[in-house]
Amino acid sequence: MSAAANRKPFDAGRAAYLALNIVLLAFLLAPIAIVIVFALNPTPFISFPPVGVSLRWFEKFFASSDFMNALWLSLWVAACVLVLSVVIGGACALALARGNLPGRTFLTAFFMSPLMLPAILTGLALFQSYLLAGIGRPIWGLIMAHTLIAVPYVLRTTLAVLHNFDHRIEEAAAALGASPARVFFEVTLPLIQPGVFAGGVFAFIVSFDQFPVSLFLVVPKSETLPVVLYNYMKFDLDGAIAAASMVSILLALSVVLAMERLIGLKAYVKL
Amino acid sequence: MSKTFDGKVVAVDGVTLDIAAGEFFSLLGPSGCGKTTSLRMIAGFEMPDAGRVHVGGQDITDVPVHRRDMGMVFQSYALFPHRTVVQNVAFGLRMRDVPRADIDRRVAAALAQVALTGMEDRRPSQLSGGQQQRVALARALVIEPRVLLCDEPLGALDRKLRQQMQFELKELQRRLGVTLVFVTHDQEEALAMSDRIAVMNRGRVEQVGAPTEIYGRPRTRFVADFIGEINLLEEAGKPRALRPEKIQLVPPAQARLSGTVETANFLGGATLYRVQAGGRIWLARETHAGERSPRSPGDPVGLAWNDADIVTLES
Repeated sequence: MSAAANRKPFDAGRAAYLALNIVLLAFLLAPIAIVIVFALNPTPFISFPPVGVSLRWFEKFFASSDFMNALWLSLWVAACVLVLSVVIGGACALALARGNLPGRTFLTAFFMSPLMLPAILTGLALFQSYLLAGIGRPIWGLIMAHTLIAVPYVLRTTLAVLHNFDHRIEEAAAALGASPARVFFEVTLPLIQPGVFAGGVFAFIVSFDQFPVSLFLVVPKSETLPVVLYNYMKFDLDGAIAAASMVSILLALSVVLAMERLIGLKAYVKL
Repeated sequence: MSKTFDGKVVAVDGVTLDIAAGEFFSLLGPSGCGKTTSLRMIAGFEMPDAGRVHVGGQDITDVPVHRRDMGMVFQSYALFPHRTVVQNVAFGLRMRDVPRADIDRRVAAALAQVALTGMEDRRPSQLSGGQQQRVALARALVIEPRVLLCDEPLGALDRKLRQQMQFELKELQRRLGVTLVFVTHDQEEALAMSDRIAVMNRGRVEQVGAPTEIYGRPRTRFVADFIGEINLLEEAGKPRALRPEKIQLVPPAQARLSGTVETANFLGGATLYRVQAGGRIWLARETHAGERSPRSPGDPVGLAWNDADIVTLES
């Protein structure tokens, strides 16, 4: 049989589909590419086209104590938010899915509401409440605010897992002699764990990238990275910003990859 | 040594069952008849609104599920997907703090019993439906339960495998002498496996008895109609029933009733006829040695039966 006879006819639909995907990917990835270009370009101002490759902006970023303090603070806050939102969001999801609570739909909407409210309003509202309550702007206040916004993510992913959960698996464990506590730790928790942790990854990133809420709740000398970057940009617009963005992206990516290694988020991509 | 066992469940709908020790007892009925709820009350997943559950003379109504010492097998198997076959089977023993060495020995024995040796380290998702069912069975049996409860355990298997598992389950139950309460909507399955059957309908028990009794002497119209095929008659204002195999097809001259064949369903070892006679449809089953019976739709045919085979039903 000749090779020509085997050639597939041109498929316009498939070609359009591929083209659309390429355009979408380009749209999503182009900003990252631009950031990489600016981070490596040695000119003192952000400019195009690049004139060379250097690591000077990375050096500047890592050498700056302002940036480093902010980076550590952001990581620390995000880690606390991860733990808190996993515990709170996971418990909420269990209560909502299992508790037979009255007004479940309302409660679910209520817990999800931080997602719907513009973050800048949440920030402002929290700022005023903290002020009224006279607690000022402590770090734990910032952590609480981030947790408020992060909980819906954990709630969402955990509810999705619980939705497909065969309750009979827990009944089987109970029939085999497992007390309610053991059923929870031996069966329920291991089975919903991937959903909870997938939410935890979102929670970490939401906190690490959080700007509008943080803007109201940080105090000078103790600002998170996005706020420091924002303030820096008001006066300097050099490659250090791009380098900082690169570091943020890589950190977020490594958290996702570490989680995936540790507990296998793959099972969850379908969510 | 003799052990008496009396299971008694009184549900809101007034179900009372006495199940003997070592018995294979089936709850049979259409979906929604209350058979699964009854089973779940025995297991302790549901609390009866009224009535008590007794096992071996002891009231266990207020005993929580995990202290009832009952094995449970579900239609969906409900295996732990994150654990291997061995870990699944060992679960109940681990919950009872059985020493490690004993667990290993008993799990191995249980797996051998259900012919799953060699599958120890597989995950449930790597097993076929029949194998998963065997794991579920081994997991429930390894704890040596006082009662084994099965909720449509074979329902998800295809016909051939289901028949094979029916034999295996029955054989296993007899060998271990375990009391087994089996929920099914499949009347053939119930007839084939049970020592006794309770036929349920709308939350009530219609009849309890041995399979031959249930089939041969149905007490109510529902039981007669639900189990196998039957001709429902009305004689002197009383509902009566006659099984298709009790009707003989004879030449019209010797018949009590003559009519014509409407349809003939060849079933392999038998043919089921629908015969139009005396203003109604009669079902008649004629067994034969595998050869297609010569009668075809439209053929004239006579029906004969013995009056002693007619069962009078409760009205």
